[in-house]
Amino acid sequence: MSPAALSPVLLALRGVPEERPAVDLDAAAALRARLEAAARGVARATPALEIAAGSLRARRSTPAPVGAALRGLLVTSALRLVAVGARPQPPAALLAAWRASEGDSPLALASDQLDAHERARLESDVAAHVATLRARLGRVPAAWAPRTAVRAHQRLAGGAVVLRDVVDLMVGTTLGPSAAVSLLDVTTAPLGEDDERVARYHALVQTLRTATVPLRSAVLSTATGDLWCIEVDAATLERAADDLVAIFAAPVMGLAA
Amino acid sequence: MTSLGHHRYSRHVLDRLVEGATTPGTFLGATERDALRRRLAAVPTLERRRVDAWFVERGATASTAFAWNPSRARRALGRGALRRLAVDPSRTPLAVVTDEILDHLARAATGYVGSGTLAAYLAAVDGATRALCAAEAVTWATQTGEAAATLSYPWTIPPADPYYDVSGARTTLRGQRDLVVSADSGRVLVRVRAGAPGRSAGAGLRVDLLVDALADPAGAPAARVVGLWPEAGVALSVDGTIEDLHAGARAVVRAVVVGRRRALQPA
Repeated sequence: MSPAALSPVLLALRGVPEERPAVDLDAAAALRARLEAAARGVARATPALEIAAGSLRARRSTPAPVGAALRGLLVTSALRLVAVGARPQPPAALLAAWRASEGDSPLALASDQLDAHERARLESDVAAHVATLRARLGRVPAAWAPRTAVRAHQRLAGGAVVLRDVVDLMVGTTLGPSAAVSLLDVTTAPLGEDDERVARYHALVQTLRTATVPLRSAVLSTATGDLWCIEVDAATLERAADDLVAIFAAPVMGLAA
Repeated sequence: MTSLGHHRYSRHVLDRLVEGATTPGTFLGATERDALRRRLAAVPTLERRRVDAWFVERGATASTAFAWNPSRARRALGRGALRRLAVDPSRTPLAVVTDEILDHLARAATGYVGSGTLAAYLAAVDGATRALCAAEAVTWATQTGEAAATLSYPWTIPPADPYYDVSGARTTLRGQRDLVVSADSGRVLVRVRAGAPGRSAGAGLRVDLLVDALADPAGAPAARVVGLWPEAGVALSVDGTIEDLHAGARAVVRAVVVGRRRALQPA
């Protein structure tokens, strides 16, 4: 696929291939050592302090209403369909597909309780967000090896701290000589300053997980169509570690999940 | 002494683990097979038992009835896709997953597939669910393929998981392996797992080692079993030693005994 056929979001994730830095395979060890040392301070915490990307969005520290949570899940499902080049599906089909695979989780059971009015509102809301998503993202080239809902689970200090993460879309290979992996988080809320921390958190956890520093980390809002994209370098990862160390030091601030 | 290695995932960790495997100096003969049969036959059961690493790791907790969903379809589809990708590396993970799904649908269309099969499931679900299955499989195949691509040894995707039917004990042992690497020391098995390894992950790997050796006609164990947890960035390894095979057999017997006790407890 030629660059001209790529959407601005994909162009931002791709960067300029000739200008990509050499892949950094050494940063993970130092970052892990620093986080392990900081996490030892909360090693007495029981149960484990669990941190997820959502924990970094301070404005969303309270549980999201059912409608908002479902909207996020269905937009993520739509993103997964976009990534595999599937035909657009109506929100009702997305909801049915998600519900069929979800079992009896509290959110799944809550979704069964939606009345016709709430369901219609959810569907129209999701349709609007998915339209923005499709328009902004465009078709993801299969050659970029798009992976969706990529989970990470990192334990620090013997499990006293658990870093959890789900990257909505990951593209690029970890095997090349230059950094080529880009991460995209899709949010249905307008972007705020917390989203920059979320982008850094994704980059940090991905680095810890694969020992390979990604190229870029981005957050796309389907509410506004805005995209924030950061280059991942040593300074970015240090700042992400600073964010986490601050949370370790103050777990009572309501930032922990 | 049993062996259990813990390694952080990095680009070359899999290759190093394959390189470091040593040729097993043992095999499971008729005596060992008979000993396992007697132990398992001593634990009575009315129904046929199916024991695998997951059963052992979960402390013989009975799992709920199996039903396909996109997450459960990812390994079956992903493995088939990866096999196609190994034949033609110029193709993309999405293209080979699509071919794999189309193959299942074609099989379902013949009408000769069982109702509980993946083919029947894919044929019955709507387009959105099928696309979610494809997305799961593409992610699995890409991650596993990237791990396999770091290997400097030849590797294959085995066509099926190993089974061993313990005669007279109404027990079937099932192993799992996603890659079989042909190392200088023998075969090395690689299992790709979701989530993070728990405390019993080593026992699970030993069960896979045991079942693979039992399913081998000569009883020859793999040189090493490597469990890869991409989400946690961790690789665990167990060597094909007699101690690890014994430990695997003990874990199986213990799980069967615990399962029997659970079955006897009033609901």
